[in-house]
Amino acid sequence: MKTILKWLMFSFLLLFPVFQLTGQEKKKNYGNTPDEIVPYKRFQKAYLNFFDTIQPFTGPGREKAPPANLSEVRIGFLGPLAGSVMVPQGKQMLNGAALAIEEANKGGGYHGIPFKLMVHNDVGLWGAAANKVVEMNDEGVWAFLGTIDGTNSHVALRMTLKLEIPMINTGDPDPTLTETRIPWLIRVISDDRQSSYALAEYIYHIKGLSRAAVVRVDNRYGRVGITEFREASLRMGHPLVLEVRYAEGDTVFTKQIQRITDASPDAIVLWGNAKEAGVLIKQIRAAGIKLPIFGSDRLMSPELLKIAGKDAEGLVTTCQYNPKLDDPKLKAFQKHYYDRFGIEPDVFAAHAYDGMNIIIAAIRKAGLNRYRIRDALTDMKTFQGYHGVTGKIIFDPSWNDIGSIWMTEVRDGKYIFFHSPLDTLVVK
Amino acid sequence: MRFLNRKLTKRITVLLFTILSFAFSGFSLHEQDIHLQGDRNDNQQAQRKNLPEGSGFSSTNVKQDAGEMPVYGHWKSFTKKDGLPADKAFCVRIDGDRVLVGTSAGLAVYEDGKWHTYTTEDGLAYNSILSIDVSELTGDVWIGTMGGLTRWSAGSFYTFTQFNSGLANDVIYSVICDGKDVWVATAGGAGHYDTYADQWEIYMQNNAPMHEPWTYGVCAGGGKIFIAAWGGGVIEYNTSTKKFRDYVDPDGQMELDVFPDDGLVHDITTGVSWADGVLWVGTYFGLSWYDGAHWKGYFDKDSGLLSNFINFVKADGQVGWICTDKGLSSFDGKTWVNYQKNENHDGGKVLVTHGKDTKTYPSPTSFANNFILGVDFQGDEIWVATSKGVSRGERIK
Repeated sequence: MKTILKWLMFSFLLLFPVFQLTGQEKKKNYGNTPDEIVPYKRFQKAYLNFFDTIQPFTGPGREKAPPANLSEVRIGFLGPLAGSVMVPQGKQMLNGAALAIEEANKGGGYHGIPFKLMVHNDVGLWGAAANKVVEMNDEGVWAFLGTIDGTNSHVALRMTLKLEIPMINTGDPDPTLTETRIPWLIRVISDDRQSSYALAEYIYHIKGLSRAAVVRVDNRYGRVGITEFREASLRMGHPLVLEVRYAEGDTVFTKQIQRITDASPDAIVLWGNAKEAGVLIKQIRAAGIKLPIFGSDRLMSPELLKIAGKDAEGLVTTCQYNPKLDDPKLKAFQKHYYDRFGIEPDVFAAHAYDGMNIIIAAIRKAGLNRYRIRDALTDMKTFQGYHGVTGKIIFDPSWNDIGSIWMTEVRDGKYIFFHSPLDTLVVK
Repeated sequence: MRFLNRKLTKRITVLLFTILSFAFSGFSLHEQDIHLQGDRNDNQQAQRKNLPEGSGFSSTNVKQDAGEMPVYGHWKSFTKKDGLPADKAFCVRIDGDRVLVGTSAGLAVYEDGKWHTYTTEDGLAYNSILSIDVSELTGDVWIGTMGGLTRWSAGSFYTFTQFNSGLANDVIYSVICDGKDVWVATAGGAGHYDTYADQWEIYMQNNAPMHEPWTYGVCAGGGKIFIAAWGGGVIEYNTSTKKFRDYVDPDGQMELDVFPDDGLVHDITTGVSWADGVLWVGTYFGLSWYDGAHWKGYFDKDSGLLSNFINFVKADGQVGWICTDKGLSSFDGKTWVNYQKNENHDGGKVLVTHGKDTKTYPSPTSFANNFILGVDFQGDEIWVATSKGVSRGERIK
């Protein structure tokens, strides 16, 4: 009997690591990618997954002493404020950032020194965003927030490493922005990868459709945004039946609609700004096409409802937060914002408010040293799980926000919010 | 009863062996799932964690170990205290007997053992200087700043900006001279300036196979211009045929590399350098090497490369010099010679790697900082631009 017991004990000890292995939490796929659509998964294990680890900043600078006799603590703002179709969104973003600054100053600023927003327009000369970051460096900002357009965000980002300025992005959903490995950027808004996966799951698995036709704007938002949706569709076994473009500002979509008809899809996906999409939806319906229409995050806009009217009924989009949530923090923000600016905050305002509050908290924690501020922003502890007005912010190792993305459907002229199917698919 | 016990023991033993066999086969299956090439990585990692120490910084030992590779030592660093306008040195370029250093506060020129500083007050476009090159044809110095391109000719400074020229953008990440032509990589596209015709051309996604207009580095060699296009890999321009072609990461994914040797390791390229028929490409994800027919990818996990985060590359003959955030790597295709500063004192170490074997040689001196941004050579001396000063090393013979 003793021999049996010894054998049993020995076997248990040997088998223990196996049980432990199988009991381990399942490793998350990069970007919350559902197993079904992980790139190359069915064919080849990747030689290297770049974002399994966090890129450190190994340069000097943390030893620099804070400046004496400062009269204000400057924080930069970079956004579309003039000369762009995104000006309404840029102004909302500025409002959100400004509200956070005003509230922080009411709360004592930084050890009694007021915060000051240094505002810059990112549209102007070609590549202006880079020049603007240089200007902000000259102004002595401790960090900056920006921007919405993917091109401008990338141009600004490259300067952050050279000038060593922390950057928070709160409005650009371009997935590639945080895939550059520059350890001076964090993003606090869900990206188009999350939007694409949510839409693909909803269209193909929830609705059971299989032949999606895409109509997208011919700019970086449309081009990069649709990439993840196109690839996800392919990996799910439903390659797009059509991908057709239109130019920003177009008002007539006859050719695109004819192409849709010719392709015989069972779903239409629009990726673009609200203005053109609203007109496009009207013309699709006017052409007698009754197919379900789905859209990217920017289609969740009062502007679209105004333009498309009742033709927008049934439109399903993604959205990076749910403004209808019964969250006291969100309600207080919405009230203060309305009281201050006389308008309802949009998605850009809410995320800018969260982003600016994170910058302020990082400065208060780390002191007036850009390197230490960067450390606080990127340590994956201080702001991991930060509860903002847009919800819980979860960073992945590329400092991309992979928190929940929401979906909306237009019913009776209103956006009705519901959970994305991703919420039940991926490990949060 | 005893017989039964024996029988039971035997059966349980057989059962346990069966279970254990399954368990072990599970382990081996799990191991097999790892990519075959991963084996060499793990071995490499293990080797580097248990580095056998060499016997001190003996020039004989290091040189013998490094073989044909040049080895540098006897480092001396220069900072603000020594006359630099700022500690942060973005780039270094040798101009005959002079050493030109682009810092965050102006151009520093080392001549006859003394530093001289030039700033916007002297005519520079901007005080933060990211790149410098010297025209072999005219001796003119071309200075890429964060606020325009400056030509330093016959003692005078002349500045090109978006407002007064065909420059695509005022942030100049890289500038090179190729005969009468000057090429720049800017935040808004690549630029070509014909100094004879006084004409500018801009290349971006509309007229070149770039995914994006953003460019980060440029080099010339073999009758071609190579442009490191941020997010667009490498763009090659044939100066004879005036035609472009591009090289990108074949797997098309930003978050992974499927095969290391199938092309560029990543599309986010940070620098290019060409010499002796070989193109060296730096990225923030690893190093790519291309001889015109074959690509090779190198990463910190499977080679002697100190870090995948590469700020700058420079080819010098058969040797590639790779400026990383964790020190300076050099490689000739066979042997890695790496330099790292000790964080706690002025000394450092030299690491020599052949295949899977690495030997470490402590060095009493090292460069100013491990965050390396630029490198150039002056005879038997190496100059290194770092985030905390510029350093000079002497070749060990």
